[in-house]
Amino acid sequence: MSVLSFDKVTVTARLGGRSVDVLRDLSFDLRQDEIIGLVGESGAGKSMIGRTVSGLLPENFSVSSGDIRFDGKDLLTLGKAERRALLGRKIVFIPQEPLSALNPVRTIGAQFGEHLQHLGIEKPRRRALMIERLRQAQLRNAEEALLRYPHELSGGQCQRVLIAMAFAGEPMLVIADEPTTALDVMTQARIVRLIAEQQAAHHTALLFITHDLRLAAHVCRKVGVMYAGDMVEFGPAAAVLKAPSHSYTKSLLAAMPDLTGPLRVLPALSDHMPGIGSFADLPGCRFAPRCPAKDQSCAKTRLPPREIAEGHWVRCAERCSAGGPLQAGAPLEVLHSDKDRGNPAVAFDNVRLSYQSSRGFLGLQRARFDAVKAATFSIREGEILGIVGESGSGKTSIGRLIAGLEQPSAGTISIDGEDHVQDGRIIHLTRRDTQLIFQDPQSALNPRRSVFRLLTQALEAGAGYKPENVRRPSAELLLKDVGLPPDCLDRFPAQLSGGQRQRVNIGRALGANPKLVVADEIVSGLDVSVQAHILNCLLDLNRRHGLTIVFISHDLAVVRYLCSRVLMMCGGEIVEEGETEAVFRHPRHPYTKALLEAVPPESADRAWPPLLQ
Amino acid sequence: MQKPVSSNVSAAVLKPVAGRWSPPKAALWAAALSPKVVVGASIVAVMVICALFAPYIAPNDPADQDLTNMLLPPVWSAEGLAQYPLGTDSLGRCILSQMIYGARVALLVGFFAAVGAMLLGTTLALLAGYFGGWVDRLISQLVDLWMSLPPVVLSLTLMVGFGTGVGNVILSIVLVDWTRFCRVVRSEVIVVRRKDFVAAARLLGFGDFRIIMREILPSVAPLIITLFTLQVGIGVIVEAILSFVGLSVPADVPAWGMMIAGARNYMYQAPWGLFLPIIAIFVTVLGFNLLGEGLRVSLDPRLRKRSV
Repeated sequence: MSVLSFDKVTVTARLGGRSVDVLRDLSFDLRQDEIIGLVGESGAGKSMIGRTVSGLLPENFSVSSGDIRFDGKDLLTLGKAERRALLGRKIVFIPQEPLSALNPVRTIGAQFGEHLQHLGIEKPRRRALMIERLRQAQLRNAEEALLRYPHELSGGQCQRVLIAMAFAGEPMLVIADEPTTALDVMTQARIVRLIAEQQAAHHTALLFITHDLRLAAHVCRKVGVMYAGDMVEFGPAAAVLKAPSHSYTKSLLAAMPDLTGPLRVLPALSDHMPGIGSFADLPGCRFAPRCPAKDQSCAKTRLPPREIAEGHWVRCAERCSAGGPLQAGAPLEVLHSDKDRGNPAVAFDNVRLSYQSSRGFLGLQRARFDAVKAATFSIREGEILGIVGESGSGKTSIGRLIAGLEQPSAGTISIDGEDHVQDGRIIHLTRRDTQLIFQDPQSALNPRRSVFRLLTQALEAGAGYKPENVRRPSAELLLKDVGLPPDCLDRFPAQLSGGQRQRVNIGRALGANPKLVVADEIVSGLDVSVQAHILNCLLDLNRRHGLTIVFISHDLAVVRYLCSRVLMMCGGEIVEEGETEAVFRHPRHPYTKALLEAVPPESADRAWPPLLQ
Repeated sequence: MQKPVSSNVSAAVLKPVAGRWSPPKAALWAAALSPKVVVGASIVAVMVICALFAPYIAPNDPADQDLTNMLLPPVWSAEGLAQYPLGTDSLGRCILSQMIYGARVALLVGFFAAVGAMLLGTTLALLAGYFGGWVDRLISQLVDLWMSLPPVVLSLTLMVGFGTGVGNVILSIVLVDWTRFCRVVRSEVIVVRRKDFVAAARLLGFGDFRIIMREILPSVAPLIITLFTLQVGIGVIVEAILSFVGLSVPADVPAWGMMIAGARNYMYQAPWGLFLPIIAIFVTVLGFNLLGEGLRVSLDPRLRKRSV
């Protein structure tokens, strides 16, 4: 029985007098007890589908043609009140940010109870039902959780509450919009498992929206790949993952680093996904400007969906689907950090970083929190060292210690064999040869500086001072180094895309001509194709110029691609250390094992998610 | 110097960002075109022209007394005279001319008091917000203490101590109103200070002074501009209060507050003498508030409409 069906749905936005098709000709059919995955990078229009179903389209956006049917009813002709009555009862959402989806000033019990009231459940039955549902969502201490406020629970626990709420009213359709993006890797595996279990238990239809094609392939039976408002490929999940047929799907998969198998250079796509402002100039396949196999015809006219196997169709030319130009890149030369190679650039000896907080009456009680506990390791010249851990593991604190932004509470840090504090000054702050690339370019780039002034910031003051006429050519060189076009120089961060901003962020750190760069989660907010660019850029800087890089990340596949050596961190402690290949192939510490298991594997044949406690 | 190298990824030529971009100039244009700013700026412009060119605009010398024509109504009523378009006060002085000349004192005091309060308040706010710790505690507690004094009583007391005169009026307003700047700007400085670009500047070898001037001040500048415009309006009001009680400028200088004080005794016989200077104050302050509010919306990136 069909629960949600889209038939040639086009959503049109009016932008300054022009109409732009934000979703083009979208068709799919979601049946009861079925999961369909919608995959796409940011800007692909996948969240727009959820908003179309709920009727919460932004101003100036409207469904201009096509049919949306929910449980046989035409959603578009349904009255406002009837449509609203469906939301929260028959159609429910699992949001991306669990913490912001819950009201911070009301307890879990109050919010869950209100939801049950909305579902028409009488008061005496509510409490028992809530506890039962929270238990089913594997929330520990369900009774106690009812009295808690959202901030007292972790992100994963809040998501469990929201999942319990979503399935409480036996809905027909659940739309999960990036439900695990804000969570840690291990939590992601558990939450995905929970959603799949609940879906199976309640025979619900589930629309699973994500940016991770591998994740979708393991959760869903069918996946649709979205690009700039088009569904470019649709088919059985295993088939799409094993034999991608659209050029975009191929390049998306090729740009994802693997956790197993031979290392290969990631082929990165040029440019980035067009914004809706430029949709009007792309009448044909919207991927054509970036497609390595495009020709005149597919850029001008939109190809009809072509069925290549039972239930697997693609909007791409026949010559591209077979074989195609986008195969795996050249093998990557693996650098092994031999014990003899390179002197230790930075050495940590029993370094502890603690924060004191005052509590109680007049702040007399002191509480100590150790962000880093007795860390001993060294970074050798010319290597790329990976630091892996989940949020709160202390990996960012290590990065800030290396850069000199934090001072150790105990232990010593030596740089090139000397103590890092001399005459009361931190030597790398005065030498400026250690730079930190911050995670969020939004916060790391002063919005009031132009790209030129950001890149040459190091030349403005202090020992590196250079007059204006010298700065210009060096800014142009830096721009080239990070792979940005020359016309970016006079723009401001707000006028750049996320990937471009991250490049400027890297370029500014390089402008100080550092010997060591600490990159703190610099690709975690980026789309896969942009991520491949940035990774290749870092590899190039390391291989050609011998730049030492400390790469902090939670993404194991990315760390494997980039780093020769890796430190695994958990709860402020380094639990495992070694060459990346060796650690990932034969993990010793249970934490490393669990982390490796929590990553969705490349092949759809391996069952995932694993059973986790 | 950066090593002259180019990376293999640069082969991938990136195209300009899709859609319209908005350089800071565009933000200024957007600001200039919002209705609040247009109306506010027009009012302010008219007031500034009146103040600057008072001798050429005013029909009479505001100090000239015409004792045969006391308490004349405006020209449109039956007893009005064309010579005094808005009538005369109890000493037979031209109300319109006094109002035009009164704009001089009002704007002079409003503008310079705002400049002074801005400089003092912003400096302390930057120090408190940037350095934190005991500097912040000291300055914040001073502000709290200062703000618990009733502002009008404080400026009255200061005026009694200093004596009348435009310079002293400005000084007393600065000493009362710097706290407003300090408190608001400080909290914004704290927000900016936590941004990663400030830490990045430290890693690039920037000293504290340079970070404050190059990174923090430009980020809080829109807020300061907005507060400044609002403060001019507040200065105009405080000046009117002080001149109303005769503690502002000497009696021979026309001021709106003084006109209200003079017309107070005759408000039943000649209400226009009371209402006209009140309208002048009202319109001026409204102009500055509209301008300030309009600038706040246009200069604050959080309130700016997102262009797609």
